[in-house]
Amino acid sequence: MEMTEKIEETAREIGARVRPQIDEARKKLESMNTSAIEFIKENPGKCLVGAVALGFLVGKIASRRG
Amino acid sequence: METRTDNPPNGRSAGDGTKKLGKRIEKVGHTAEHVWDRTRDSVSDIRDALDIPGRVERHPYGTVAAAVGIGYVLGGGLFSPLTASIVRLGVRIGLKLAVLPLLKQEMAELVETLEDEDGKGKGASKLNVKRTRGDEP
Repeated sequence: MEMTEKIEETAREIGARVRPQIDEARKKLESMNTSAIEFIKENPGKCLVGAVALGFLVGKIASRRG
Repeated sequence: METRTDNPPNGRSAGDGTKKLGKRIEKVGHTAEHVWDRTRDSVSDIRDALDIPGRVERHPYGTVAAAVGIGYVLGGGLFSPLTASIVRLGVRIGLKLAVLPLLKQEMAELVETLEDEDGKGKGASKLNVKRTRGDEP
């Protein structure tokens, strides 16, 4: 019983310590996602041309290796 | 006396040639204009059919991923080992996603049937005990 209580307490402590960092990381990821979506919506041409160019390069490299 | 400019040797006046040339130029201009209009209409039709801004607005990441895919195919990466490995990974993940729920369901049904059988078995043994006790004098 004491052992399980200790384990539970330790897990709770670790959770309490890590939770703010996880929340911060989630917020950062969310803001990055929002800004990326906004950028794509504001510059669709640039993004699509860049994506096609990137895919073309990857395809070239892949075909050369094969 | 007639001069050369008044009556050319081919029997035509200089004004006729100029008129014909003018008509031809006009015709070419009309044709070019017509071609330009049709091209513009076709381009606008294609643009409407693709609806790129709408697609980007609705699915920004999906559209970019599709563009990367188009570039990949154009780059000649379609029949390469990388494509084979990507397809293999996708199939494996898809199979896992499809098979796992089925396995879970089967396991749950198996556990249920086992529990039912166990309950029946216990009930039957209790009945047997009662019967044997009742038989005793």
